[in-house]
Amino acid sequence: MSMDVEITGIKKAYSRKKVLTDISFSMDAGSCAAILGSNGSGKSTLLSILAGVRRADGGSFYVYGHPDETGRQTDGCKEHGRGKNNPGPIRGTDLLREPGRIPKVLGYVPQGNPLMEELSAWDNLRMWYDRETLKRELAEGALRLLGIDGFLKTPVRRMSGGMKRRLSIGCAVVSHPGILVLDEPSTALDPVCRENIRSYLDVYRKEGGIVLMATHDAQDLELCNMCYILRGGVLHPWQYDGDFHRLTEALCGKSF
Amino acid sequence: MKQTAAYFLAQLKRAARLLPGQILADVVVCFCAGVSACLLIAQGALAAEGTRYRIGIVGDLSDSYLGFGIAAVQEMDDSRFMIELVSMPEQEAEAAFRRGELYAVMRVPEGLMESIVYGENDKLVTYTAAQGQQGLGTMVMGEITDVASTLVTCSQSAIYAMQQVLAGQGRGEEIGRETDKLNLALIQMVLSRGGFGEVEVLGYGDGLSLELYYFCGAVLLFLLLSGLLNSALFVYQNGAFSCFLKARGVGALRQVLGEYLAYLLLVLTGLLTVCLFLGFGFERGLLGIPEWDGMGAAPFLAFLPALFPVTAMFAALQFFLFEVADGIVNGILLQLICGIGMGYLSGYFYPSAFFPEKMRMFGGFLPSGAAVRFAQAGALGKIPMAAWTAVFAWMAVFLALTILVRKYRTR
Repeated sequence: MSMDVEITGIKKAYSRKKVLTDISFSMDAGSCAAILGSNGSGKSTLLSILAGVRRADGGSFYVYGHPDETGRQTDGCKEHGRGKNNPGPIRGTDLLREPGRIPKVLGYVPQGNPLMEELSAWDNLRMWYDRETLKRELAEGALRLLGIDGFLKTPVRRMSGGMKRRLSIGCAVVSHPGILVLDEPSTALDPVCRENIRSYLDVYRKEGGIVLMATHDAQDLELCNMCYILRGGVLHPWQYDGDFHRLTEALCGKSF
Repeated sequence: MKQTAAYFLAQLKRAARLLPGQILADVVVCFCAGVSACLLIAQGALAAEGTRYRIGIVGDLSDSYLGFGIAAVQEMDDSRFMIELVSMPEQEAEAAFRRGELYAVMRVPEGLMESIVYGENDKLVTYTAAQGQQGLGTMVMGEITDVASTLVTCSQSAIYAMQQVLAGQGRGEEIGRETDKLNLALIQMVLSRGGFGEVEVLGYGDGLSLELYYFCGAVLLFLLLSGLLNSALFVYQNGAFSCFLKARGVGALRQVLGEYLAYLLLVLTGLLTVCLFLGFGFERGLLGIPEWDGMGAAPFLAFLPALFPVTAMFAALQFFLFEVADGIVNGILLQLICGIGMGYLSGYFYPSAFFPEKMRMFGGFLPSGAAVRFAQAGALGKIPMAAWTAVFAWMAVFLALTILVRKYRTR
């Protein structure tokens, strides 16, 4: 599919408080990783750094491109010779140094509601999609998978939490990004909405996309093939086996 | 650029969705303000028509000159329209003063006139006034003293001289009649003064009439506080949206400009709604400003464009305050406090000439001060370059600060 990701040595401090000291991990195309951690551990900070919202104090974020049969854009890698005649993995750009490229390869869904409440779903989507693309996506693309066509004319302020979350994802995937970063995607949603979103993420992942999410929800972990616990500013790989008690202990730092 | 345009268009759509409610709120405010103003003006005019300052005179009024002087002031002088002099016993006057029925009490000591005639200065008229009436007391005392001293000291010499001449000529039977004639001539001369007093009017700002000064102040105060009416645009504002925009490549600068333009549209709509009412008032002659009298709404319409730069500056200020505040409630409170505080310091409520020099300078330096200078100059038809510079400099400062705060919040 489209791309791999390599993240090395990301650091971030707010004033004197070090939130992230050394964040390093990598992900392959079609993988899904969950970042777990207690409140204030720095999950949202890490995701927002990867999304280009916040600036890291150090580290790198490389994306390696692959031949793209699905049409997903990997513009961040173009200058390194990627194309039909050069299909192998190639060296990418450090996106932390060139954050302007991030929107082309990464879709970000923040924890809160990133929508204009006074406007309808259609108006919110039109901010990111041109009219033809939007119609196409609603008919057969990601927006159809998310079921957004069912509430296109509804103002956001009248939508349920699940609708808003799906619409947020719809806005985030406008550029067909190879990476989707979600901050607590299933918080405060009912089971049906959660299942809808998970179904979409599963499809997205199976098509070769990379999903990285911060979550507190054990059910989200069933979707993931990698789990990390963020403690003390460092990511610790962790294997979830369905034991919720063990997960709680891990979050408290009693076992790794 | 395409995304910025799309974002700006989306913000305009938001503003358009809010416009009906916004216009309705403006109409309600205009209606309430208009009704209140009409009632106040009507009540004030009636009260002003009926207002006469009542001053009690007690003591020795037996002297004919003093009695005549008081009667002259009371019956013939221009001051009779403002001041009512009432002769009454001392105890009754004191009781009435305490009840608030008298503005002041003037005591005339026994033998005052003889003392004056003989050139002695040992008898004094005492004037008792409440603290708030000191200015009026000074004025009234000045008037009474003026009339009495002219009658007594200047005319006395002439009357005595005439009486001696008539007596020397053996025309003693004519003395009484001639004295009355001379007295009347002198009184006529004294009372033919043009006015009760010369009122010195403090400068309200580059020669504006009081009405135009307060008109500018009222319109600017509305603009300064219009953030309260336009807060709907910020009700759903949250950090997640800013983060999302940044992640999609729309940075703080483009976010702020897009949102500011939409906000400015709302504020301008509010201004134009109010101006519709004001224009109607001027056209129908319901509002009167000396500089614009008899010209209908035309001078007001010519003045209107001068309000646009000020509106843009105030919109930037309000946008900044909403950005700084944490939440909509804090934002509204901040708007209210800053608006009233700055309006007061810059002379929207009282002419700034009443304030101490340092306070006046500070009030003039504030954005509200720059706005009032700009609007007043606009009302007179010529806006100096310094006023343009001050208004646009403040606007740029507020927008720059807003961008910095937005960056700080998503850093």
